[in-house]
Amino acid sequence: MMELDVRTDERGVGVVVPRGRLNMVSARSLRDALDTLVNDGTHRIVVDLAETTFMDSSGLGALIAGLKTARQAGGDLRIARPTPAVTTVFELTNLDKVLRPRESAEAAFDD
Amino acid sequence: MTEGRLQVDGHAQPEVLDQVHTELEQLWETTGDVSMRDRMRFEMGLMEIVGNVVEHAYRLDQGSAARVLSVSVTVTDSEVRGVLADNGLPVEVDLGDVTLPDPEAESGRGLAMALASLDHLEHARVAGCNRWTLVCERSAP
Repeated sequence: MMELDVRTDERGVGVVVPRGRLNMVSARSLRDALDTLVNDGTHRIVVDLAETTFMDSSGLGALIAGLKTARQAGGDLRIARPTPAVTTVFELTNLDKVLRPRESAEAAFDD
Repeated sequence: MTEGRLQVDGHAQPEVLDQVHTELEQLWETTGDVSMRDRMRFEMGLMEIVGNVVEHAYRLDQGSAARVLSVSVTVTDSEVRGVLADNGLPVEVDLGDVTLPDPEAESGRGLAMALASLDHLEHARVAGCNRWTLVCERSAP
């Protein structure tokens, strides 16, 4: 039960918006979408988590896989606006340092 | 005193994840006064363990249609308790040996997350079934 919006903005940054639950079923779609973006030449990606109501370890795995793929291609993957439930998952797994939440999708690549 | 209860029985296939999740959200609506923090903690633990059962059903049983999963959740004024039973192959689980993997790992965090989020997590082999017991002690509302 997740919808996934994928677009590339005017700066060439891929913006991925998962809406709903990011679980074992939907994590596969996210993983595929991130792979497709990088393979098609979009190496800077921001995943906007403002509408992700839940994320499990599979969702986290898909983000880590996307991060590695983007970095291998010379780019990066960043996250923006995580909900409290999703923030808890990052903190609990100590991945809030690896994937530091940004305030907005637009500003995610400002630094 | 029991304030609410849910029961889901189904095949151990990925679709059961959303089914359990939706039922759990409805249970929070009917019980009402479980704090957001306790809801998040229990939800995280329960969904990781259901995911673990489904994942192993695929890997070990070579087709999960025969593996049946039963999930029950009970809310009382002091705790939220979940019991999962499945008829799959025995799973060797040493919960004392669970740690978080390397930050770059793409899997292997589920049990560590469940352990960290719940107050009690137990796996046992009972009457030919894997049985998981999950407890979240409720904080003051």
